[in-house]
Amino acid sequence: MKMQRVTNQQDSQAANTLRLVDVSYDVDGRTILDRVSCELTASRIGVVGRNGSGKSTLARLLAGLVSPTRGELHVNGLDLAKDRKAALDEVGILFQNPDHQIIFPTVEEEIAFGLRQQGYSKNEAARTTSATLSDFGKSHWSEAHISALSQGQKHLVCMMAIIAMKPRLIILDEPFTGLDIPTKAQLTRYLRRYQGGLLHITHDPSDLSGYEQIVWLEGGTVRSIGDARSVMTAYEMEMAKLGGLDDISDLTH
Amino acid sequence: MISLTSPIRTRAHNWPAGAKLLSLCVATAVLFAIKDVPAQVLVFALVIALYTIPGRDFLAAGFRQLRLLWPFVLIVGLWHLWTGEFALGASVVLRMLSAVGLANLVTMTTRLSDMIDVVKAVTVPLRWFGLSSRVLEFAIALVIRLTPVLVERGGQLSQSWKARSRKAPNWRIILPFTVLALDDADYVAEALRARGGFNTKEDT
Repeated sequence: MKMQRVTNQQDSQAANTLRLVDVSYDVDGRTILDRVSCELTASRIGVVGRNGSGKSTLARLLAGLVSPTRGELHVNGLDLAKDRKAALDEVGILFQNPDHQIIFPTVEEEIAFGLRQQGYSKNEAARTTSATLSDFGKSHWSEAHISALSQGQKHLVCMMAIIAMKPRLIILDEPFTGLDIPTKAQLTRYLRRYQGGLLHITHDPSDLSGYEQIVWLEGGTVRSIGDARSVMTAYEMEMAKLGGLDDISDLTH
Repeated sequence: MISLTSPIRTRAHNWPAGAKLLSLCVATAVLFAIKDVPAQVLVFALVIALYTIPGRDFLAAGFRQLRLLWPFVLIVGLWHLWTGEFALGASVVLRMLSAVGLANLVTMTTRLSDMIDVVKAVTVPLRWFGLSSRVLEFAIALVIRLTPVLVERGGQLSQSWKARSRKAPNWRIILPFTVLALDDADYVAEALRARGGFNTKEDT
């Protein structure tokens, strides 16, 4: 077992420590993640890799939504798949499709939901909801109906709902796929301000400017991990090279 | 996503949900006590008057919801024409329109989370027996939330069908639709779990 250890910390944003020891994850006998071991501490972490490399599975494992088939996984020393109550304060996750995430018909109800889940009283939840909205300059959204929002606006609602809960780490599972360039830029700007840590899963290198550490997954294992610039350079070169091939014909994966 | 609550603010939006639901119960009971047609006409006119107070858009939105009733109005109406009980038929139809109209009025002026709070309060006895009422609370929200998502899914499937077929979509669309619905349910369940699921800290 090879344990790669990486540490990096910026002053303004809270760092998180992710520790994976021999983590595997199987679905129906197929191995999605294969004995992944690493430890990293950083406030801005990127995860890159091709489709099917195990990125989303890693996100779900880190968020504690699924348990590893084998191995151990800790976020800031906690096993979040077992300790779901701690998980709410520790990790929030933004999915690709806001329609899978939004439960309530109005913006304020949606934001208040997570806070009530964290154990806030109705009044406290309402106060934090309006504070969050005003922090984003979106106080006028409070009674807006989700059905009246654009796709980008729905994404922002999901983001505000998670940020209101103030988790120490927000996991982004390719949340900006399919959004237009200005919308993506605006959402990225809102994310940058977040004082907690971010773990951003993407295959677009431009999403990760300003990130400290990058994990590059390939075929369910860590291909490379470390300082953002060096990993990203190697990743981009490899992707450009693969673009010239025809491995799309391969059915064995 | 449908939103049953009207975005047009009315004074009734601020009234407690429990009081509105209780009044609805009383009003519906009274509706069943009224037997003569002129009184039913009067009540129905009153219901319409209530819809007109917040303005034309609100009235139109309310009318759209009530339009769902037309098959029932038709069946009940035709039946009573057939049996010759015109007064009874008119009374039943008017009662149905007034009752659903009032219920819809409560829905349109009450936020979903307030409605769920009432369910929570009413289901306290369930918790005495160790049953979690949270499942029920979530079920209400999710049905309202996901119905239009499923309608959209069905629409997408029939479009994919039409794009490659000259015939109209038929029963063969049902299985893929079911699979898609289950897939969506998985995602929603996961997102729900990510924000605490059925267990909240207040329970402990």
